[in-house]
Amino acid sequence: MTPAAFLPWLVVAMVAVAAVQLGRRVALWRSGRPAKVDWVAGLKALPKRYLVDVHHVVDRDKSASRMHVPVAGGLVAASGLLVLGLIPALAASQLYWAVVTLAFLIMAAGVVLVGRRRYPRAMKRLSLGRWQRFPVYLGAFALGGILTSALAAFGNPVPAIAFLTFVVAAAGGLMLAYEVATGPMRHALAGATHLVAHPRAARFEGSRETGLRPIDLEGDKLGNETPQDFAWNRLLSFDACVQCGRCEAACPAFAAGQPLSPKHLIADLAAAQAGGHARPYAGMPYPNERPVAGSAGLHARIVSPEGMIHPDTLWSCTTCRACVEECPMMIEHVDAIVDMRRFQTLELGAIPLKAEEPLGHYRGCDEPNGRALSERTDFAAGLSLPRIAETGETDILLWLGQAAYDLRGQRTLRALIQTLNAAGVEFAVLGAEERDCGDLARRLGDEATFQRLARQNIATLSAYRFRRILTADPHALHVLRNEYPAFGGDFPVIHHTAFLSELIAEKRLSPASLAARAITYHDPCYLGRYNGETEAPRSLIDALGLERREMARSGKRSMCCGGGGGAPSTDIPGDTRIPDIRMSQARETGASVVAVACPQCTAMLEGVTGERPDVKDIAELVWEAVQAGSKATASTSAARELEPA
Amino acid sequence: MKSVVLLSDARHPVSGRAVLSRLEAQAIGLGTALGGTLTGLHAGDCEDGVQESLGHGLSALDILSLPPEADPVSALTDFLKAQKADLILAGRRGEGGFDSGLLPYALAEALGLPILADAVALTPGEATDTLVVDQALAKGARRRVTVRLPALVTVHPLAPAPLPFAFGAMRRGTIRRHVAEAADASTDPVEERPYRARPKLMRTSSATASAENLHVGPEPEEAARLILDYLESNGIRRYG
Repeated sequence: MTPAAFLPWLVVAMVAVAAVQLGRRVALWRSGRPAKVDWVAGLKALPKRYLVDVHHVVDRDKSASRMHVPVAGGLVAASGLLVLGLIPALAASQLYWAVVTLAFLIMAAGVVLVGRRRYPRAMKRLSLGRWQRFPVYLGAFALGGILTSALAAFGNPVPAIAFLTFVVAAAGGLMLAYEVATGPMRHALAGATHLVAHPRAARFEGSRETGLRPIDLEGDKLGNETPQDFAWNRLLSFDACVQCGRCEAACPAFAAGQPLSPKHLIADLAAAQAGGHARPYAGMPYPNERPVAGSAGLHARIVSPEGMIHPDTLWSCTTCRACVEECPMMIEHVDAIVDMRRFQTLELGAIPLKAEEPLGHYRGCDEPNGRALSERTDFAAGLSLPRIAETGETDILLWLGQAAYDLRGQRTLRALIQTLNAAGVEFAVLGAEERDCGDLARRLGDEATFQRLARQNIATLSAYRFRRILTADPHALHVLRNEYPAFGGDFPVIHHTAFLSELIAEKRLSPASLAARAITYHDPCYLGRYNGETEAPRSLIDALGLERREMARSGKRSMCCGGGGGAPSTDIPGDTRIPDIRMSQARETGASVVAVACPQCTAMLEGVTGERPDVKDIAELVWEAVQAGSKATASTSAARELEPA
Repeated sequence: MKSVVLLSDARHPVSGRAVLSRLEAQAIGLGTALGGTLTGLHAGDCEDGVQESLGHGLSALDILSLPPEADPVSALTDFLKAQKADLILAGRRGEGGFDSGLLPYALAEALGLPILADAVALTPGEATDTLVVDQALAKGARRRVTVRLPALVTVHPLAPAPLPFAFGAMRRGTIRRHVAEAADASTDPVEERPYRARPKLMRTSSATASAENLHVGPEPEEAARLILDYLESNGIRRYG
């Protein structure tokens, strides 16, 4: 028997070791809460989810896709071929061994590329430790495999050397299999299972599927306290993490020096299941890390100074979803964070001091700012703003949102209302019947308040007839469009940028050109990433004749302004402020105006001090252009009248 | 130690909705920090508002069902006599319901207990059955008083902030409902009038200012004219 003939058995041994190691994790996952999973559909969709959806994300970093395709492809191909080698007739064929060599060669080429990402110095966002040793095991398996099978292809001229190379391959291969429980290789098997049993399967069917899921307020425990409180496929999803650090690189809180790294958080959640990190976490620490005692286990409280994750980490998140957008393993970080926030808020009342105030106001008067609902339309004194209660029906129902209480937001809303009047749109507002949509309460974990507001708002909206809801607040848009359906409120909702661009396309508005101004557009997370709307605002800017300059991070990969998820309320200190970072990115484009489409972004970006571009909502730009347009037509018609007949 | 927090029918200042008064939430905080058993007590029909107290740290709440206009003093007196509480905590003023702020005093009188107003901190005294109360006085002054229990203590807004609200705790808290005899409505019917701005007497303290108004031995007619002029020039009395 040649050493190469042991290679198939090596693969069998690797599979056995991997199965045992993965079994340890499966036992942990099974202690999670039950979740409905469509296994058949998931298994059927796996190749597409892996080869299209995952690859699409991996491919954003070319160095990753170029190394991953040959390594993973070569490893799977070589192992698959070697299992066929159990057939004696094949094992005797030199051609077969030549093909196996080729597969190992492809893998080895990939391993070289893996190594180049890590040696001599690893990319900053990658984890070190056992992740740094990972290419060594891969290399040993690939190189040992190449030599052993190549020697077999040449008729096994030097059995002693072939034996040595087999030992190298076996060492590498068995280490890879052993790593399946807690090491880097876990991402492959847990990742594939995660793709099959993904908690948001509709993500792969073209839907954005970004709304938070309601919880049963009658349940025994509200929110997630321990690993056991997570659904089993959520526990599985934490194990899928490959610690590539893309989430960390995209996280605005991490960039601002707040104690949050989505990668560290997911690694902590994965480790919490089995009682803590098997080896010390080898990525970058949480910035300005708060000390934690690190006690963990399936029944141990995760978020606590005694547990794995410090509460400040949880409250640093802006729920911008940049991590989810960047994650090649399709992990849902924000869901996990909100689930844990729910426990903190609903069961412990352990929320940062400053965030208690808006939640208290919500309970008392349905508005986080503590103002009376009847004051919502005060800003529109002198404008034509019909109430829907007068007629009972309208074409467009304008949802004013919280911006109506804020002086800056009022300027935007006034511009929008004037534009609507100029275009002859039939619209109305709810007036004092409009309660806050509950966005802030839900992101801060106060699901009870959110569900109450959702039900009350849906009852109000259902009493009237209208065709569409129009809003200038992407947070309200997201909640009304994506989160109210779970409570029986299915209303068509449109953002003002999409609506205004419709009006211009239908020629109901004739804006003049605002040329000779350079503009950069900041995508609101809740419009771009949460709802996939990145085109309408840009087409509006183009329609106004403005010179549009894109920031390095724009569209669905835009960076947050720091205003979402209740982050301004929780106000966890960092080294710098998120809006300052974003504004410096806007400054780099040299644009004189930052166009925004969200009252939160407006407030955050306008709060940046020093020399900076102006911050203008797109509604304000459109109204400016419409005014300029009507002046231009008025002056030309006046001139005509003056001409002697 | 056994303490009871009195919970009133408070209204939210903006929405007018029934809520837990902040002062009473602070009272719960003080009582919880003191240790022992702490329960809430409400006489009236405002369960929606007072059940919030369960989310702020109370584990149980007694409700004496009474119509909203009824005078709760006798019902509370009967219940508290049966309870034999060491310490009764209350807010220092009513917040929007049918309340005059006199209830703690009326109750203390009916129960024969000492009452201490405006507590900002409570600590157990050195001797058994005593309580050290820090009272808030005007201009930030504090006074430390030791009382022998049982006693009734009202809480000042400068007491520590209430414990944060937790929905889960509210849901799990126990509400015990009791039937109570509604006493006859208060013999003094309350008259409600819309607020009217009243003139304020401006204080003029300098010697020269008062010298101007000093008239020694004027004729009665002249004196009357001077007084009326003065009242008119200060906006205290208006003609026409």
